[in-house]
Amino acid sequence: MDKLTDKFLWKSLKEGDLNAFSVLFETYYPELHSYGLKISKDTALTEDTLQDFFLYVYEHRENLSDLETIAPYLFTSYKRFLLKVMKKNEKVKHTDFSNENFADIQFTAEELMTNQETERFKNKNISSLLNKLPNRQKEAIYLKYYSGLKATEISEIMGINYQSVVNTLHKAIKSLKEEISIIKLFKL
Amino acid sequence: MIKKKYNTINDFLEDASFKNWALQNNGTDINFWEFWIENNPDKKALVNKAKDLVLGISFDKNLVGKEKVAFEWKKLEAKIQAKKEKPKRKVRFLKQFSAAASILLLISVAFYFINSNSKIMHKTDYGEILTIKLQDGSDVTLNSNSSLSYYKNESRKVWLSGEAFFQVDKKVATNAKFWVLTDDLSVEVYGTSFNVNTKKKKTGVFLEEGNIWLKLKNGADKKMIPGNYISYSAAKDKILEDKNIFNATIKTSWKNGSLLFENLSLEEAMEKIEEAYGFSIIFKDEQSKNTLITGAVPITNIDICIKAIEKSVDVLIIKKDNSLIISKK
Repeated sequence: MDKLTDKFLWKSLKEGDLNAFSVLFETYYPELHSYGLKISKDTALTEDTLQDFFLYVYEHRENLSDLETIAPYLFTSYKRFLLKVMKKNEKVKHTDFSNENFADIQFTAEELMTNQETERFKNKNISSLLNKLPNRQKEAIYLKYYSGLKATEISEIMGINYQSVVNTLHKAIKSLKEEISIIKLFKL
Repeated sequence: MIKKKYNTINDFLEDASFKNWALQNNGTDINFWEFWIENNPDKKALVNKAKDLVLGISFDKNLVGKEKVAFEWKKLEAKIQAKKEKPKRKVRFLKQFSAAASILLLISVAFYFINSNSKIMHKTDYGEILTIKLQDGSDVTLNSNSSLSYYKNESRKVWLSGEAFFQVDKKVATNAKFWVLTDDLSVEVYGTSFNVNTKKKKTGVFLEEGNIWLKLKNGADKKMIPGNYISYSAAKDKILEDKNIFNATIKTSWKNGSLLFENLSLEEAMEKIEEAYGFSIIFKDEQSKNTLITGAVPITNIDICIKAIEKSVDVLIIKKDNSLIISKK
């Protein structure tokens, strides 16, 4: 979305404009929902935490700092919010997130577009290749190509600098390309 | 665009025309970048890296629907309202409403500008045929290795590179014209069906039905009647062919997926195969060049196409890398 609109939306929200907040909600809910689901793999948990998160944002609107772009703030804060809840539930669920700074994202074959280059071998192969990448690379891939965020925004969300984002993305794409060409060789 | 310096990967990634080149979206950007890369060989590694990142991975997003979002918003709104005090609500609501209306207006105006001016491009690969329905109802069949582009708010003016067959809907009420533009000429139409081919550095137009006017690059006008075939080259500033073709299917059969040969030499026939599939043709047997061939071959399946030719002219065709090698049996 346009930067001017972002700035305007955020300012209106800070002034308590509920309709501005509803526009913001409608704009970012779908992407955050999908991001939350990737991190938690739990629809109910994702939807509950999204409700609580947006309520939290609205109630604390006066203390929020001015923003030029909204997406990095929402993605970062929501992720933190969600991970906190997940950590609380950790004991119950016997899963361990504590030593992970980056979310473990899993991709499915259905999510991958079939284009001419990938048609030769199954999307299944690509999704399993993607899933084998380090968590950091997977999250960068997700934010860039699924959520459609800019590298500068991703650097804010992941707390790494711009060059690291670019390098991380390139490393992931490069190893993916290499694996794909190996598969192609075997299949032909 | 030209004054800008490209030193870091960021300079490429943030550049809209670079993205267009990587995605092969826009003719002028593609030309610009191909020229630029040729003249800046030291930046090649950086360019490749940036291209990889632009192309990335395409996801088929599965996002929650509008209804779900509206439902979740109602839930949240109820929670917010419950926490709010009741007085002053009416005045606030009005204020909020007007603010929201202005936001919506802003967003829709932005959307209008972004959408209305966007250029749409359809592209086909070798061995691929695409049928396109334009906004005004006209049908276009795009032959292999061709592209058709137009502005979203002006779909009756299209740019063609390659070959396409047009069935233009007549706009009786407005008498609105339809335009096809190529490097050599423009075709002016009211409603009719015709074939345009820009391959081989010329533009050939075959009119099947109705009537059309050609405006050649040199300024001359030419009216066509059904059955006419005219080809013109702007580079040579010359009409190359102007004749009547009685068997229309010779010019238009490709849109049904086949190439028709009628007493064509094998050399000429292989030239058409080269255009359709992108293979280069190598004759090891010079004599077979002049063998005449009559029949139809598929345009989207090279293996069957090869077999069909081998059967009808008694030669051996071997597919190797990007070439078809023709030799004696």
